[in-house]
Amino acid sequence: MAASRPLVSVYDEKGQSTGRSVVLPAVFRAPIRTDIVSFVHDQMRRNKRQAHAVSSKAGEQTSAESWGTGRAVARIPRVRGGGTHRSGQGAFGNMCRGGRMYAPLKVWRKWHRKINLKQRRYALVSAIAASGVPSLVLARGTIETVPEIPLVVSDKFQDLKKTKEAVAVLRKVGAWSDILKVYASKHTRAGKGKMRNRRTVMKRGPVIIYDKDNGVKNAFRNIPGVSLLNVERLNLLRLAPGGHLGRFLIWTESAFKKLDALYGTWSKKSQLKVDFNLPQPMMTNSDLGRLLKAFEIQSVLRAPIKRQARRKVKKNPLKNIGLMSRLNPYAGVQKRQTLLTQLKGRRTGKTIESKVAARKARTHASVKARRLSSVNLVKITKKQNAVATKKATTTKSS
Amino acid sequence: MQHDDVIWSVLNGQFCSYKQQKAKTQIFCSNEYNLTGLCDRRSCPLSNSQYATVREEKGILYLYMKVVERSHYPKKQWEKVKLHENYIRALKQINEHLIYWPRFVRHKCKQRLTKLTQYIIRTRRLMLKKTGKQELVPIKKKAERRERRHEEKAFVAANIDRAIENELLERLKKGTYGDTYTFPVNAISMDEEDEEAETDEEEEEEEEEEDEQESEEEMEYVEDFNESDAEDIEDMGDDDDDEEIIKALPLTKKRSLELEYEPAVEIPVRGAERAGIIYCYATRDSADDEWHVDKLEFKATNQPYSYIFYDRALRRRLSPPETTTK
Repeated sequence: MAASRPLVSVYDEKGQSTGRSVVLPAVFRAPIRTDIVSFVHDQMRRNKRQAHAVSSKAGEQTSAESWGTGRAVARIPRVRGGGTHRSGQGAFGNMCRGGRMYAPLKVWRKWHRKINLKQRRYALVSAIAASGVPSLVLARGTIETVPEIPLVVSDKFQDLKKTKEAVAVLRKVGAWSDILKVYASKHTRAGKGKMRNRRTVMKRGPVIIYDKDNGVKNAFRNIPGVSLLNVERLNLLRLAPGGHLGRFLIWTESAFKKLDALYGTWSKKSQLKVDFNLPQPMMTNSDLGRLLKAFEIQSVLRAPIKRQARRKVKKNPLKNIGLMSRLNPYAGVQKRQTLLTQLKGRRTGKTIESKVAARKARTHASVKARRLSSVNLVKITKKQNAVATKKATTTKSS
Repeated sequence: MQHDDVIWSVLNGQFCSYKQQKAKTQIFCSNEYNLTGLCDRRSCPLSNSQYATVREEKGILYLYMKVVERSHYPKKQWEKVKLHENYIRALKQINEHLIYWPRFVRHKCKQRLTKLTQYIIRTRRLMLKKTGKQELVPIKKKAERRERRHEEKAFVAANIDRAIENELLERLKKGTYGDTYTFPVNAISMDEEDEEAETDEEEEEEEEEEDEQESEEEMEYVEDFNESDAEDIEDMGDDDDDEEIIKALPLTKKRSLELEYEPAVEIPVRGAERAGIIYCYATRDSADDEWHVDKLEFKATNQPYSYIFYDRALRRRLSPPETTTK
């Protein structure tokens, strides 16, 4: 809903821009809601269906009955009587050959769908808006040879009577490559539709939207892919085929001008539709990237948290020297001293550890001495001493 | 309205014909103006109203630029700038043209320029080799299979064996083999059985002779002639076309390359009233000589009589032929 609305130039049958231009109708600014279009399209597509069903008697025309248990056969109902292959065969079940299907199709299925008027109109309006966005039209698979989107052609279009002329005009206007694509896309349908009079399938080409039919219909209808619509009766199934937005539309000038009257602008209601105005968009400006960088928003935001404080793992100071020294700086000093004295003691034999070790050695010796005979007493003691001194010397040297 | 975000949400969510998801990990964009080749918000040429690419055409690099102002004119959307041949100068050019543009676009353009220059160098080098000039063409399995089948069918339809046979027989008749092949020739009339090899010319000759003689024959064999028969003959005269068509039919069920001799060539004929066979007796003096038709006899299929409508012995120098009554 910008303040100003751009001008769309009108092209003549030679593909040149006439001097004239039309103000872009407000419909083209309507919100583009793919979800609504998709839903409505889906519902609308069901409305052309013809009822079909399976015969209600199918598979039920037997008087079969189950043989019950005790006959070494499965318990499905079986055909009575004898004399044919058929007798004794299973019947009635969906699993049986010649039986009725699961959930036989009924005619009273709900074939058509009611769609709320407002929804229908919303979808249509979205489709028209989408057709005015070149990117969407290109993405759907149209061409880059068009001079302008939305493409508005002079009213002379409506007076065309011959298909030859129509083709020539399409060429000049840059729409022919689209139709060539349609030709290229013609192929045989996959599936049973082939034998149901729906043999060929092809792409959809441009739509010609006119105000008054002075021959347009007849001129264009034989060109493959082209659809023709009267402005007053626009069809969502044609504007968004397959539920996809952005079909290439060619408007005649008077048709284009009628859009404002048909759909209204936000400030003015629609004149031709009862109680209808264009839907309000959720956001007036949907350029999110730009918005977020705008001063008005940035000035109100708090500073971004670049580094978040995380939960700290508690470490044990008795094991973690770093932590210990942070808590008690003297601890470091203490520890160093003990280490040094330990080292010293190992060499001199004066530390607690060495003293303990020496005591152990002595007791061990006495125990051993008691066990052995008195004959070896002297020798042993001497040996022990020798071992003790050896120990001392080795520790000294280490 | 041209809102990039809206467009992107539509294209990404709904449908974009350029979106290629052939691999599970990566989505590609087949739009020829795409900078990176990937389908994502920043690289999509459709959902970025201000966009630029570097593209290569026939060894020359161009910078393409697109701005919002031109977004509604698909034909004129892209501004094309030819980049300098020198790589460093081209880089400078890009910097110039995309001076206040988003960093991403500028950066990618330069990257693309680098890659493309390398590619061009490689192509040039490759062109100097033999492999460069070879064009690799993919083998299309389906097409190949189809073509092979068509070939087989065409081969069968061509009847090469028969064509060869005919050719050989013709040559034999013409006498190109001279005396290499000698076949016993009966003095009275010797003909090859099932002579399809009879040329059109010869046939026409015979027909002409037929026609020419008809008038005279009519005079000679008044007794034999019934009006119905006259009609027959005239019909036969008209049957040239039929005959030639019939000639093509397989008379040749008893075909063999060895030439058997029986008195007559049988030419099946069909007309408006009835069908029958023309028996042709011909002789030639030597292998070099042409066949001379001695007798032409017609016998209708369901009738007892056969009519000789040409006899060489009775032939006279021809003056302007009298037209036969029809």
